[in-house]
Amino acid sequence: MKRAIASLLIPVFFLLTGCGTAEAQEQFFTMDTVMSITVYGKGAAEAASAARQEVEALNAKLSRTEADSLISQLNAHAGDGTAVDMDGDTLELLTFAKSVSQLLPGCFDITIAPVMDAWGFTGEERHVPDDDTLAAAMALVDSDKLLIDEAAGTARLETAGMSVDLGAVAKGWAAARAEAVLREAGVTSALLDLGRNITAVGPKTDGTAWRVGVADPEDDSQYLCIVSLEDQTASTSGGYERWFEEDGVRYHHIIDPKTGYPADSGLKSVTVISSNHLLADALSTTLFVAGPEAALDFWRSRDDFELVLCTDQGQLLVTEGLEAGFEFRGEELGYDCQIVRR
Amino acid sequence: MTARSSAADRRRPTPWDFVVALIVAAAAVALLFLLKQESGNFLTATVVLDGETIAQYDLTALTGPVTLEVEDASYPLTIQAEPGRIRILESSCPGLDCVHTGWADRAGQQIICLPNRLVISLEGTSSGDIDAVTG
Repeated sequence: MKRAIASLLIPVFFLLTGCGTAEAQEQFFTMDTVMSITVYGKGAAEAASAARQEVEALNAKLSRTEADSLISQLNAHAGDGTAVDMDGDTLELLTFAKSVSQLLPGCFDITIAPVMDAWGFTGEERHVPDDDTLAAAMALVDSDKLLIDEAAGTARLETAGMSVDLGAVAKGWAAARAEAVLREAGVTSALLDLGRNITAVGPKTDGTAWRVGVADPEDDSQYLCIVSLEDQTASTSGGYERWFEEDGVRYHHIIDPKTGYPADSGLKSVTVISSNHLLADALSTTLFVAGPEAALDFWRSRDDFELVLCTDQGQLLVTEGLEAGFEFRGEELGYDCQIVRR
Repeated sequence: MTARSSAADRRRPTPWDFVVALIVAAAAVALLFLLKQESGNFLTATVVLDGETIAQYDLTALTGPVTLEVEDASYPLTIQAEPGRIRILESSCPGLDCVHTGWADRAGQQIICLPNRLVISLEGTSSGDIDAVTG
């Protein structure tokens, strides 16, 4: 009888203590955004802390606003002939970023930094640059002039004034590294929110997939849809995230490397879902610049990512690989939804 | 010899013990669901400046607008809360992305002012059907 009573009360105890699952969260500012790492299970607090330290250590190497970072050293030696020593992480990331530029020429370039500076997106005051300033900055954008020597472990920028900014790929790299740290600690369930790039590590503790809302570009409190994630990243780029108005015109921060002006490709936002966290991060920016047709053509040419495209015509284009667990929530917001097939 | 209760004398639980345990269990479960239901009616906004909580608002309990001047921030700003929602009304930060975010009125939403390292987080249970937001 005692056992019967005890077996009745034990589940009640766990119900009242949150089902007995430990949970720990770290929230912190780094990589010019806010991040949170939520970890479930035994050793959650230590694992979350270790993952945070990994991300902060990456920022110290990759940020171009940290004076001592490897990227700052690379930029400081632009044009002076110095091959700057890089570590394995940074070299791999630079090589990957260059490869993305070649996948979709003209849509992505990590040497866009001088143009971002000309617009003031990295400084105190955002403004439309005058033609001469913009032309001078555009002349410095060319990732072919970022020379990487993998054997020597060095990188070099050929022209004085050139500058690398890894903002479009660093969060994806951070997600991959944080996941590796969590896995090493034995974590099987965690959710990373790295500046609203969401990475699901494993399923939820109840075994189901994580449900991630894709924000409406017009109203952050509403969702266009919900996608299901498990061991994947959902990365979104949109012109509504950072912008300013000048003379009644709105200018956003995703610059088209072909024009030097904010991308105007017919998209309000692009969400890329992939088990390759780095690819998801890089492609969201790249495909936002490329536009809906080029984005879908590129999707058809590969099998390692899926897309939610929100067009400026109020259409939601969702690739077929997301159908399972997908919920459209944009009807009342005035959007149409179409599943795109290969 | 000291007096002992009849229950203490017993070695084996009686059916009454089982009934009491059942009642306790039922009451605990009922309390759990009651608490969960009640928390669904609440929307709380927490304002954190550089890791330190500087204000908390029960948005469902507000009866009129409230403003908070955050003078200690690197770029002073004004937060406005009213029944069911909150926003950054004005800010002296560069970019004004925090002001552009507008009103937040749903559990799980955040308003972020990066230059100030300020986060306003909304909590409640109405965000129960999603785990995170991208975009």
